[in-house]
Amino acid sequence: MKSTHELLIVDDNPADIALAREALTVCAYRGQINSAVDGAEALAFLLRRGNYASAPKPDLVLLDLNLPKRDGLSVLTAMKANPDLRRIPVVIFSTSQLLQDIDRSYELGANCYISKPGNLTDFFSMMRSIEEFWFGSVTLPPRGE
Amino acid sequence: MTSTGSHVAKASADEQTTPRTSLRTLLVEDNALDAALVVRALNKDGFEVAGDVVQDEKAFRRSLRASPPEIVLADYNLPTWKGMEALKVLRAEGLDIPLILVSGALGDVTAVECIRQGATDYVLKDGLARLPEVVRRALREKHERSLRLRAEQDLAAKAEELARSNADLEQFAYVASHDLQEPLRMVAAYTQLLAERYRGKLDENADKFIGYASEGAQRMQVLIQDLLAFSRVGRKEGTLVSIDCNAVMDGVRQTLSSSIQESGAVIHYANLPSVWADRTQVAQVFQNLMGNAIKFRGKEPPVISVQAQKEGQQWLFSVADNGIGIAPEYAENIFVVFHRLHARTEYPGNGIGLAICKKIVERYGGKIWVESLGCGGSTFKFTMPLRSSDASSGTREETGQ
Repeated sequence: MKSTHELLIVDDNPADIALAREALTVCAYRGQINSAVDGAEALAFLLRRGNYASAPKPDLVLLDLNLPKRDGLSVLTAMKANPDLRRIPVVIFSTSQLLQDIDRSYELGANCYISKPGNLTDFFSMMRSIEEFWFGSVTLPPRGE
Repeated sequence: MTSTGSHVAKASADEQTTPRTSLRTLLVEDNALDAALVVRALNKDGFEVAGDVVQDEKAFRRSLRASPPEIVLADYNLPTWKGMEALKVLRAEGLDIPLILVSGALGDVTAVECIRQGATDYVLKDGLARLPEVVRRALREKHERSLRLRAEQDLAAKAEELARSNADLEQFAYVASHDLQEPLRMVAAYTQLLAERYRGKLDENADKFIGYASEGAQRMQVLIQDLLAFSRVGRKEGTLVSIDCNAVMDGVRQTLSSSIQESGAVIHYANLPSVWADRTQVAQVFQNLMGNAIKFRGKEPPVISVQAQKEGQQWLFSVADNGIGIAPEYAENIFVVFHRLHARTEYPGNGIGLAICKKIVERYGGKIWVESLGCGGSTFKFTMPLRSSDASSGTREETGQ
């Protein structure tokens, strides 16, 4: 049985991905951190297309909404429509606090919606919560590879 | 006389004793002698008349196009046409040219009817001495009318321009503050990360500099949040409901409970009315005013009293405190966005609260202002329109509206 978790972070801002890596390192996350900078790359990764033919299947996707090429909601829709991907929990992680974004995300099957905190301390503690909950408390679906 | 009409002769030299005003006329008249008398009456009184004399619609239209007159003088009855028909032509052409009926005996009823239909005035042919004055008045009125019209058009254009530029500005503030948040979040996060990771590992100056950068970025984040909140006031399509201001104040007291406890504030309010507005926005007005009353307190614990009374078609609310007050010269500035009277170290804040209050109150057609005794506390007053049900149940029950 595999012991390392696979996390996919989808965010168009490399600085944000780096910050998430920092935060996860601080809270002793032991799994792999994969990243994609736009919606199309995220789907290529998930569907193992092109350069991602041997990509691992993520246990959790941290998905930003405002993305180039295909936005977060479009990635979410594609995932939930795909029988192989629809079990993967998706955490929407966005700066948007618009009610319509939140509502739409849940409607399309997001597992939770988290507002990206603006402040470093809050950001780190939020990442810690995500790590503890999803990789600690939660029993994730079997990988089925 | 041909259908193109004859041309009115210039005034003779002996009549030019007073300053002459040139006047382009269009005479609708079949009788050449009468036309000459009309011209003579005007020339005698300081006009220098030039223009066509016509007697049917075709010639009238042609002359109108060739040299538009300043005034039309029309006989009531013509062999093949009627003077009042000329008025219809002017109307149809969209021309604002005064038309004066110059006619033989015209019954009072007919005369009144003609004026009702839009003739400027009427002069009897055996009373032509009156004509110059009537013409002068008609020209003066037309001039005033065009001035007024231009002023109205200017005003409407300015209002439209202002509304557009306000909307642009609001859109700009919204987009700017929204899009600025992302990069700023990075600056704030990474300077903070630098501060935490490298404190004491570089030199003393480095720690200080990173600290300044980090604080600056965080303060700007708050400013941008405030600006966003401010620009949202105008964007929000709030649902208007009837809101009990007593309940709103209960909520505000809850929200501010920690600062109320800390300062020992005493808050009085009772029998506040209900208003027709967006709940969050009304709560925001009360909360900002209460928050200020507590923040800018004097040495004594704050005593705050919220009252309302009906004044005409609106409610006049007042929020009175016993705080440090506001010097009269700042009474208007305090409502300007980001305007502050105190150093941040004295009283924290970004100067957004009252600007938001003003924007909300004005959105509902009200006004907000402050009355202050300088050092003996401040009273903020604002108005909100009555709900239509309050307006009818009050002083004017008989209207039943």
